[in-house]
Amino acid sequence: MRAHAEPTQSAPLGPPTAWFAAARSHALLIALSLLSLLPLYWMIVTALRPENEIFSTAPWPENPTLDNVRRILDGMPLFRMLANTALVAAASTAAQLVTALLAAYAFARWRNRWTRAIFGLLTLTWLIPAQVIMVPNYLLVTSFGMLDTLAALILPHVASAFAIMLLYQSLRAFPEELIDAAITDGAGNWHILWRVIVPNVRPALASLGILLFISSWNDYFWPLLVTRSPDSAVIQIGLQMFFTQEGNQWGPLMAAASVASLPILAIYAVLQKQIVESFLHSGLK
Amino acid sequence: MANVLDLPARLGALPARRRRPLALRAPWLAPSLFLAPALGTLAVWIYWPLVETFRLSFYEWNLLPMAPQVFVGLENYQRLLELPELRQAAWNTLLYTVGLLPLTVALPLAVALATRDARGRAGAIYRALIFVPMMIAPVVVAVIWRWLLNPEHGVVNAIIRGVGLPAVRFLDDPGLALWSIVFITGWKLVGFSTLIFAAALTSIDRSLIEAARLDGATEGQIARLIYVPLVMPAIVLLGVLTVLHGAQWSFVYINVLTRGGPLQSTTNLYYLLWEYGFSSFAIGWSTAAGMLLFVVFGIAALFGVRLMNRSDARPR
Repeated sequence: MRAHAEPTQSAPLGPPTAWFAAARSHALLIALSLLSLLPLYWMIVTALRPENEIFSTAPWPENPTLDNVRRILDGMPLFRMLANTALVAAASTAAQLVTALLAAYAFARWRNRWTRAIFGLLTLTWLIPAQVIMVPNYLLVTSFGMLDTLAALILPHVASAFAIMLLYQSLRAFPEELIDAAITDGAGNWHILWRVIVPNVRPALASLGILLFISSWNDYFWPLLVTRSPDSAVIQIGLQMFFTQEGNQWGPLMAAASVASLPILAIYAVLQKQIVESFLHSGLK
Repeated sequence: MANVLDLPARLGALPARRRRPLALRAPWLAPSLFLAPALGTLAVWIYWPLVETFRLSFYEWNLLPMAPQVFVGLENYQRLLELPELRQAAWNTLLYTVGLLPLTVALPLAVALATRDARGRAGAIYRALIFVPMMIAPVVVAVIWRWLLNPEHGVVNAIIRGVGLPAVRFLDDPGLALWSIVFITGWKLVGFSTLIFAAALTSIDRSLIEAARLDGATEGQIARLIYVPLVMPAIVLLGVLTVLHGAQWSFVYINVLTRGGPLQSTTNLYYLLWEYGFSSFAIGWSTAAGMLLFVVFGIAALFGVRLMNRSDARPR
């Protein structure tokens, strides 16, 4: 009843309130965008400054130069580190996708108390911080003789509960009639998985793949534990090594930081929408 | 007669039983094979190490392969609980967690509520921009802020001096360093959290809001009575994630920026484990502290999961 009486009152109030709300929205979002981007902008600007301008607070260097990049190339095997990082990230992403696909298929296809119990056990890995199991993990790597190798960086990340749980969500939503139809046709599990399911969950696989690649590229703790020499370091550890040695060489340091971020920023520039969506969908890793 | 009639059926059944497909004879075989690669990896790199951590927590050892592991029973736990370092680290862990909540929950929720009408092209651009810090590696974030917050030449202190105030030693002042690291940790997450809340808000039925407005509800009432309850699952999700992982997210920044100092003021439990394990090589202490941490956060996680389930089950 009241709904009929009120509109005349709220209508004249409408436009100015809406205008104010919109202006406030933009102001807030612009402020948050600046807060997010200015630090990165300052990293890039510092990287481009020549040595004699390094302490300048001018918004853009007078004589922008790539000298700083050249200087880090002299000091550390930058390209080698980038290649190491790309290799480790690609290998562990590919391996995690395959192992997660197989496991998620098992959980979706055979639903009984055993698989449910195992799935529960898997979700518990979420509760085990890396720092709690770091000593045995380190000992394992040394006993394999793999300290300071790229294999040591990849092996523990051949499977992850996170990937399995995310893929299981997609596979569980897969229409059961299609699987039943394939079974009646006499198709085996292997065939069902690769010919029936995989072609239909490609988007889920792609967004999980991007997520795994980015988090592997940015990973820090595990490489910190098992890396010793610059030649087998990933870029994050290379950056840390450079920082420990020449902490106050701000120009080269910011150049190294920029180079370490560029590949991921490039991927983000192209796939921005999918990346944001898959991060929001998966929660935090 | 019955036997004779049965015979062909039996004869037919015999070879058939022998040739029963593998899937029927061993129904566990196929699932096991599909699960093996993932479970094997996790068993080797997570479950077995957890058991091993538990075992090592009863020994005294310095990580050297030649050195003997000496069984000391519960001594590691006893000593740990008496250490002031542990108490300080536990207190700091609490400060990190509580300090992060405004940056991962309260502020993002406020921004998402205030900007809930920003849609379309502009909205998409803002979304893309505020998400960028989430893409940047924590080590990179650490060195950028080290530069920005540098007392002599950093741009933040240039601004502070510009308005006539003395320079602030953000990372060297024992009273400030922890909060600087909280801010840096939160800086990386604030955009992400805002987008989580924004996504939850867009799913809200707009006719409900219109009806409330027609009933004379103020904007504040609408926010408090309609939006907040509807984004409750997102609040719980981010709150639980922050409580469970917040102190862990800070690890990189502590290790790169302060190494736990000055005066242990930024050391949290995760960093203490790291120091005991790989600086002082007190493996017994590190693993015992690890087990304590695991148990405390395990209990917290169980509460968190229950809370999440309950908030999801609410009628919408």
